[in-house]
Amino acid sequence: MTTRYEYLEAIVPLAGDALVVATGGTIREWSALRPSDGNFKPRTLGLVSSIALGVALGLPHRKVLALDGDGAFLMNLCGLPTIAWQNPPNLIHLLFDNQCHEAAGGGVTATSTVADPVALARAAGYPHACWVRNPEELQREFAAAWKRNELSLIAAKVELGRPKNLPLLPYDEIENKYRFMRYIEATEKRAIVEPPR
Amino acid sequence: MDARGSAQLIKEALKEAGIDFIGSLPDLKIAELVRAVEQEPAIKHIPLCREEEGIGICAGAYLTGKKTALIMQNGGFLNCCNALTTTSLQFEIPVLLLIYYAGDIGDRGFSTLGSVTEPVLQALGIRHYTPRRPEEIKKTMRGAQVLAQDSKRPVAVLLTKDVLGVEP
Repeated sequence: MTTRYEYLEAIVPLAGDALVVATGGTIREWSALRPSDGNFKPRTLGLVSSIALGVALGLPHRKVLALDGDGAFLMNLCGLPTIAWQNPPNLIHLLFDNQCHEAAGGGVTATSTVADPVALARAAGYPHACWVRNPEELQREFAAAWKRNELSLIAAKVELGRPKNLPLLPYDEIENKYRFMRYIEATEKRAIVEPPR
Repeated sequence: MDARGSAQLIKEALKEAGIDFIGSLPDLKIAELVRAVEQEPAIKHIPLCREEEGIGICAGAYLTGKKTALIMQNGGFLNCCNALTTTSLQFEIPVLLLIYYAGDIGDRGFSTLGSVTEPVLQALGIRHYTPRRPEEIKKTMRGAQVLAQDSKRPVAVLLTKDVLGVEP
């Protein structure tokens, strides 16, 4: 099987200047591969997809990627119908399913047995949801989702583990927020952060 | 004032305060308010499945420049406590919380919920205001929104039956 890092490597060349919201384990890998102030790391388990939805609705002309894990995905199942109902065409929801709570000690999740995230997304109303089995398939599906410009979930079963010696993010949550907002300001050429009075 | 008039008044106050993005989950007592928001073209309305996701959605929208609010019952507020702590407070992201105050004085069936609402808001360090008369609505909404933006924290307005114009 393939690691999440190898899957991420496959989509970096295709991701352009997409805004990215990613779970704690994934963001370090993603930021090492694509360093950018357009990367946002939430702290509430489960809310990656919901925060990405808010970003996608706020900037409907920008591509937004939610990089989710199975633990977070399962914790926020009620968010799926909301996302599908809003149906943001610019949101690509990627799920890297290692079938356990890797960052929280490795206890297995329901996707290791009977739960099928792709079926859950479809049943929630996602117009597109599919599994991929290798990085080439991910590249193909990712490029198709990007071009189609319709809400899509792409899921891959991944091997446990991450590269050693990945750098820690060098800033805290508040700096992450400001960098992300300033990045949007710079790329959208409009003010977002309210000046203090 | 009846429920429909009150809902219009609150919705107009939200608009004047600059709110343009609202997540909601209804309670019977705030159904008219949710309807008024849904019909307002100047506000993007997101019907939620559970309140905690609303904190995430509003946080994401805030990052893009939206001014956000959540409309929910106080039971739903309790559902949000982790997200309020680790998203709104930890990242210093403002959001206006409009919370229907079930179990307020004189209310039947929700006294347990009513009794924990203000202590939990206080424990989270979320300032909260409870207008009791319709004529206080506009000023309270505007003030709470200014406070949320200025402090970069959630601020709550507790909506009582008197203000909502609904039967006790």
